Amino acid sequence: MRAAAWVAVGGLALAGAGATLLAGANPLEAAGALLRGALGGPQQIAETLVQTASLLFPALAVGFALRGGLFNIGADGQAVAGGLVAGLIGAAWPGAGGFALVAALAGGTLAGGAWGALAGVLRARFGGSEVIATLMLNVLAGLLATYLLSGPLRAPGATGPETAALPESVWLPLLMPGTRLSVALPLALALAAALQIVLRRTIYGFELRAAGLAPETARRAGIDLGAIAFSALSLSGAMAGLGGATIVTGVLHRFDPALSPGYGFIGIAVALVGGLEPARIALSAFGFAILQSGSLTLQAFAHVPKDVIVLLEGLAIVALAGRRAFVARATLPP
Amino acid sequence: MNEALAGLASFATLALIKAAPIAFAALGGVLCERSGVVDVALEGQLAAGAFTAVVVSAASGNPLLGLAAGIAAGALLGYALGLAATRFGADQIVAGIGLNVFALGACAFGLVLVFGREGTSDEVHALGNRGEAALILAGFGCAAALHALFYASPWGLRVRACAENPAAVRDAGLDPGRMRRLACTAGGALAGLGGVFLALAELDLYSDGMTAGRGFIALAAVIFGGWTPLGAAAASLVFGALSALQFGLQRSGIPSEAMQALPYLAALAALAGWTGRARAPQADGVPEERRFD
Amino acid sequence: MDGFALELREIVKTYPGGVRALDGVDLAVRPRELHALCGENGAGKTTLAAIAAARLQATRGRVTAAGTVGFVPQHPHLVERMRVWENVVLGREPRRGLRLDAVAARERVRNLSARFALPVEPDARIESLDAGAMQRVEILRELAREPAVLILDEPTAALAPGESDALFATLQTLAASGTAILVVTHDLGDIAEYAERITVLRAGRVAARFERGARASEIARAMVGGELPVLATRIDGPTAPCLEVRALSARAGADALHDFDLDVRAGEIVGIAGVEGNGQRALADAVAGLTPYRGTVRLDGRELSAGDPGGRIAAGLRTIPRDRQREGLVLEWTLAENLALGDQRRRPLRRGPFLDREAARARARDVIARFDVRAPSLEARAYALSGGNQQKLLAGRALAARPRLLLACEPTRGIDVGAAALLRSRVIEARNAGVAVLVISLELDELFELADRIVVLFRGTRTGEFARDGFDRARIGAALAGVRAG
Repeated sequence: MRAAAWVAVGGLALAGAGATLLAGANPLEAAGALLRGALGGPQQIAETLVQTASLLFPALAVGFALRGGLFNIGADGQAVAGGLVAGLIGAAWPGAGGFALVAALAGGTLAGGAWGALAGVLRARFGGSEVIATLMLNVLAGLLATYLLSGPLRAPGATGPETAALPESVWLPLLMPGTRLSVALPLALALAAALQIVLRRTIYGFELRAAGLAPETARRAGIDLGAIAFSALSLSGAMAGLGGATIVTGVLHRFDPALSPGYGFIGIAVALVGGLEPARIALSAFGFAILQSGSLTLQAFAHVPKDVIVLLEGLAIVALAGRRAFVARATLPP
Repeated sequence: MNEALAGLASFATLALIKAAPIAFAALGGVLCERSGVVDVALEGQLAAGAFTAVVVSAASGNPLLGLAAGIAAGALLGYALGLAATRFGADQIVAGIGLNVFALGACAFGLVLVFGREGTSDEVHALGNRGEAALILAGFGCAAALHALFYASPWGLRVRACAENPAAVRDAGLDPGRMRRLACTAGGALAGLGGVFLALAELDLYSDGMTAGRGFIALAAVIFGGWTPLGAAAASLVFGALSALQFGLQRSGIPSEAMQALPYLAALAALAGWTGRARAPQADGVPEERRFD
Repeated sequence: MDGFALELREIVKTYPGGVRALDGVDLAVRPRELHALCGENGAGKTTLAAIAAARLQATRGRVTAAGTVGFVPQHPHLVERMRVWENVVLGREPRRGLRLDAVAARERVRNLSARFALPVEPDARIESLDAGAMQRVEILRELAREPAVLILDEPTAALAPGESDALFATLQTLAASGTAILVVTHDLGDIAEYAERITVLRAGRVAARFERGARASEIARAMVGGELPVLATRIDGPTAPCLEVRALSARAGADALHDFDLDVRAGEIVGIAGVEGNGQRALADAVAGLTPYRGTVRLDGRELSAGDPGGRIAAGLRTIPRDRQREGLVLEWTLAENLALGDQRRRPLRRGPFLDREAARARARDVIARFDVRAPSLEARAYALSGGNQQKLLAGRALAARPRLLLACEPTRGIDVGAAALLRSRVIEARNAGVAVLVISLELDELFELADRIVVLFRGTRTGEFARDGFDRARIGAALAGVRAG
């Protein structure tokens, strides 16, 4: 297995080098630019950590659901739901300070959880594939947000579907002044730690893992697969929603429907690279964040279009699909 | 009276134009899924088909070459999916998502490389109105041909068996892996053709995000249509009509997002069992080798 | 090749990890011969058959055949949603131009069916057929290819005694008309009468060869390699009602149960006999709460609600499931984790929201000792265990919780003789200690060993009940085939 992993990494490196050459740049220079852009100084590292947090929430969401044999491909939509509610609460909450922020985050978490719960109901009650459901709900979340913000909930003076800018009192406290690095990161890391404990040591985690690895066995052991599907998808959605809420309150300081550009899909890669273990997912998220935050420098200085990162991430996901150690999925119901 | 007829005709035309890319992708999806491989890579295949068609058309000045290239690009992605599923026992959904991300990234990357700017390509030689009409007719033809292929030909029997019980196929002395790969490649080619239509018939350029989730609408059409060629084609027509309706209703009070949401809501309804038969093939998504003998 | 239809020379098969399934086996089948390959589970017969039929690659050795080798696996490889004719012609479809010629295909099936005296309905869907019919379809499919040798793996497993006779008569005719037949079986039954020659495998080697007319007891001894292990003594004690089933109707796939009544008392073993597919799965799933049903199921006087496996576990029902890998174990988990399944919500395994890992390991150590589970360590993964050890693990888990009712579904299916004997002994001991036991088995001999009473199922209804002192093979066989007793 080790050998196959190295072959995959080597293959990806080759692909990256090839794409760089196509763009007319020197691969080594390009790699250097990428790393400098991601880790070259305190500002850069802070930005990379911001990206780590943004990626970690959806990755934990996807990874958690996958442990239960469930495919949550809708983390982006759940993040949108969470971000929307957080933005609305934050913009409208009367009075100052901490309560508004906490309310925004909590609201976002619940909204994301509700969005995930929709897929959960379809799966638990009707046996409907959560792959399709979360994919469809992804798009529907964006449409709903756009509609609400262009019409009924339109912010005064807004030119597009955005909420009003959040007052500073509702911003996530910064860890490092002068950067965008906020408490979103420790929040995400705390979530990872909590999930690690839930999965390894709690009865819920035990039942979730059983359902994911051997659904018929789990059923006969008295585990309610429908309840697991519903709760896991809801919790997963809640995590993604919280992530969206942190992006709105910590990075953008307003709601924008494009707040989670494909993080839900990249989150799948992050989760798989982390072997579906929350602690390793955190490390994996950091690795992917380096790619994301370095990509802008890559484009600016080495003149390699930043989409090469997306391209490589796609290849990584395909490579990861072949992992033998992949968790057995409950098959799509008939 | 004449006005009404003219309005109806233009509505029908618009509906067909909107339906065509979805239908091609949906037919490709049916082909792939009925051989036993889950296909969520339709979006990427559409994009790859569109982009490649535009690039080749621009480079060669000949939209027909672009057409061929777009089909080839979709086929290549389809082959990759089939290969991952059969030779490597990969999880088909993960692989499909990966191919989607890869294709979309590659197209955006290529866009900058070839046309020197982000977002939109130059306008290219397109297929024109005659070409557009020919492709729409071809779409109907493909649906009929696929139907005949599945239900009246020996190859169709074998491919359908691959999706239900590959062990039985192997016992009959055939190679289910090879048939699945072939089906996925052909399916990808069809989806690529859908992308060609988008880029060279409906419009005449490529722009970032032009597929706009049509691949997922096509997936919805596959499910809504019960995994059959005629069903998927019919569902695509319905979705195309909804899309066309959107233009007409723009001035009424109904928000455009509601219309856009309908295909997705339809798919959700299908999942909830409201369309009755929604049975995926038995071995759909199940790789052939078992894990623990 | 000296005129053999099929010749296997010095076949060796080693699996990664060092397990040697076959250790230098020679086997030759003459033309027009009906040859039986016998052995206990785990002896290597299915592996050898698969190698002979080119479904599996031998590590060393040579396979020579005088023509095509047809193979009818134990569980049919048929496309359930398609029709009989589609399955039979798959891969060799008659054509008219580019089209599939369905008319000619149906005709071909009818011809084959008549020629080989295997009645089938060309337009029937496989999913509507019973086991015997599916087997006929599978045989026809292979015969359509005019094989020189036809191998059948455990063909009698799903047949009633009467149907077995018909099958063997057909096989004899087939052999006489030119197709050599190799039957792989672990059930001596009638094979001793029909087979010309018998090869016995034991632990991957040829243990003995017999000709027609050899005594069944000799063959059995060669299969086991000595005397059969002795079972635990039965000790009768006080009994009381435990499981009461009234007017139970249920479905599990194609398996159906109609208006069935059953009583199982504490301290007794009731055996359910029946050919596969006559309602056993429906009964087991309904009692275990896995499928909806009509009627009532009461445990210790309390009515259980349908669709509630968890509630039943709490009420004291434990199961040994039919399919240990898919229904009983989480193969990737350790032994300790597997043994915690089913009781994870109760003390002592539960401590608040957490799983008490030390308690789980203590339980594991206990079960492993009592049930002689051979495993490298507590941390071993379930997939590393042999079938027999996996099954012992599951039996241990079921009995560790001191159940009120033990539901055992084909408890010794596919495991070696030693493990089977130990398992049966433990079940008898549980009975002695007052557990109510319901055993569903396709092996009549097993029920003869275990049961105090045997109830026969046929097409979902009871066709007979026999007490231990009245176990009569002939009458039970008749009940299995549908003749109501008494």
